[in-house]
Amino acid sequence: MNPILSFIVVLIGIYGLATSKNIIKSIVCLNITQTAVILVFLNFGAFHGSNIPILIDKVIDMTDPLPQALMITAIVIGAAITALALMLSIKIFHYYGTLDWKELIEREG
Amino acid sequence: MEFIPIYLIFIPIVAAMIIYLFNNKYVNYIIFVAQTIMTFLAVIYYKVYDGLVVDKMIVLGGWDKRIGIALKSDSLSMSFIFLSIFIWWIVIIYCWDKRKTDFKFLFFLMFLQGTFLGLLQTNDLFNLFIFIEITTIISTILIIYKKDGYSVRAGFYYLLLNSTGMIFYLLGLILIYNISGTLNMEATSHKISLLTDTYPVKMAYIFIMSAIGVKSAFFPVYNWLPKAHGAAPSSISALLSGLLVKSGVYAFIRLNQMFKMESFYHFFFFLGFFTAISGIIFALSQKDIKQILAFHTISQIGIILMGISSIDEKTYVGGLMHIFNHAMFKSLLFMGAGIIINTYGIRRITDIRGVFKKLPYTSIFMIIGMLSITGAPLFNGFVSKTVIKYGVKGSNIKSTMLFIINLGTSISFIKLSQIFFGNSRIKRSRNINGNLAMFLLAVMCIMLGNYFIPITKGFFGVDLSYVKVMDIGNWINYIMTLGIGYIVYKKIIAKDYSIIKKIRHINISFGTTNFLLVMFIFIMILWSRY
Repeated sequence: MNPILSFIVVLIGIYGLATSKNIIKSIVCLNITQTAVILVFLNFGAFHGSNIPILIDKVIDMTDPLPQALMITAIVIGAAITALALMLSIKIFHYYGTLDWKELIEREG
Repeated sequence: MEFIPIYLIFIPIVAAMIIYLFNNKYVNYIIFVAQTIMTFLAVIYYKVYDGLVVDKMIVLGGWDKRIGIALKSDSLSMSFIFLSIFIWWIVIIYCWDKRKTDFKFLFFLMFLQGTFLGLLQTNDLFNLFIFIEITTIISTILIIYKKDGYSVRAGFYYLLLNSTGMIFYLLGLILIYNISGTLNMEATSHKISLLTDTYPVKMAYIFIMSAIGVKSAFFPVYNWLPKAHGAAPSSISALLSGLLVKSGVYAFIRLNQMFKMESFYHFFFFLGFFTAISGIIFALSQKDIKQILAFHTISQIGIILMGISSIDEKTYVGGLMHIFNHAMFKSLLFMGAGIIINTYGIRRITDIRGVFKKLPYTSIFMIIGMLSITGAPLFNGFVSKTVIKYGVKGSNIKSTMLFIINLGTSISFIKLSQIFFGNSRIKRSRNINGNLAMFLLAVMCIMLGNYFIPITKGFFGVDLSYVKVMDIGNWINYIMTLGIGYIVYKKIIAKDYSIIKKIRHINISFGTTNFLLVMFIFIMILWSRY
């Protein structure tokens, strides 16, 4: 896959973050952006070489294993943030009775 | 001996886990044991390597430094480590009465210290990302610790905005990894300096700086800060404002050492001015005591940014010193505000009166903090502000900028100091632990304001003997600033015109902030072209 394509997904995610009116949608857009960035990273990592670096002796034209190792960590962090954000959105609904950004500002008191 | 940097990361984390596992009020005292051990280890490490004049790097597992995970200590990171251990001591003393059986709170507090010390020592771009993210997650949990609606919303906002910012950090990381093939900062710096085509490096720099800008509350993207710092429990506000905002600033210093993009330094100087001035404008319009202090954190971050984004050695050291001074006096002020809020039960400064009669010690320490933040001679804020002023002496515009910021700070704290006068019928309360913590911070404020010459020589290797505390010109300057500030306060701010009310009710939504973040990136791209 072309990294340009995954970069377009990043832009879609950022557009969603800037425009969405609902808290859950904001969290989903954050997720989309994170996943797209991970895709970009993996694409860049696969630019040089295509073979797996383990299991075979004397691999020629091997791909860089580091991006994948890094992205596993990034995925874990993304999952943690999503879990925390969803928990907080439940709490917000509990206290304010709404998940709309605008109504939330109005109910500030 | 060699592995003390790793111990510094793991001792607080292990202590936190023991506290969580045992859930026993006597086991909670292990926090003091851990803090004492860490203090000694840091001092020993500093002594053994002769003040770390030469950088020391350890790579885990004995790998080459381009492959392995590297931790680097130099005099800068060491001074930050001393600062953070000190502030954690103060926060633990301050909240011990209230929290000594609250094992969850202590768990998160100690865990946060481990990740923060890791952030200070890492020399690896991806580990920096991880440490910043963990710090964000744990501080979110601490912000929402009161579990009321307001703090939950503030914490949510903080979490979402900071993680959006860090996405851009990852984007920048991709570019820089593609260019250099390594994540080690030193090796990357070396690779970058050999390149002829700097365009991708500039793009990487812009993305990474926008993420750091969100994390350390630069001009258009700071509006998570007043919410979060206003809503958190007071001890956590002190920690957040004093130290955790500096995690972004510290990353800013480290990454600028790596990229060496001198064409952006002027941009960040002016950005610092806008950060400072907008923080002051919002602070002048606020009435909530914690919101005022939180907006002043933004303005002080602006001053720090003006200092550290300078090529000139003097201004740079001034900005660096202001980080330390700000940690002292802003923690002091937040702790004082916490005691006042606890005693009075209200947060509006127009309703709080007669603090000096009811809480004399707290008031004295808070006044010391106010004198420091407004830059009175003999206190620590004066030193760093004077150093920055000396650094920009050649330029009239820059000196005027600094004067305006200082004037705004004075007006705002004249407004805040009205709480000391008058009378009230609130019952007196005793806050031995709180006052002890504030006393230690006040002593540090005065110490750093008077004996700064040997301290800066030891840590930064700079001679500051040209800053004269007793110089009559500085005193006249300070008193003049206060006088003008008092007139402006009486004539404009105290009248509470409708425009001030309007500014008070400005509330930038999450979507708009993201839009501003994108605009921030675009402005930086435009700046890199011209």
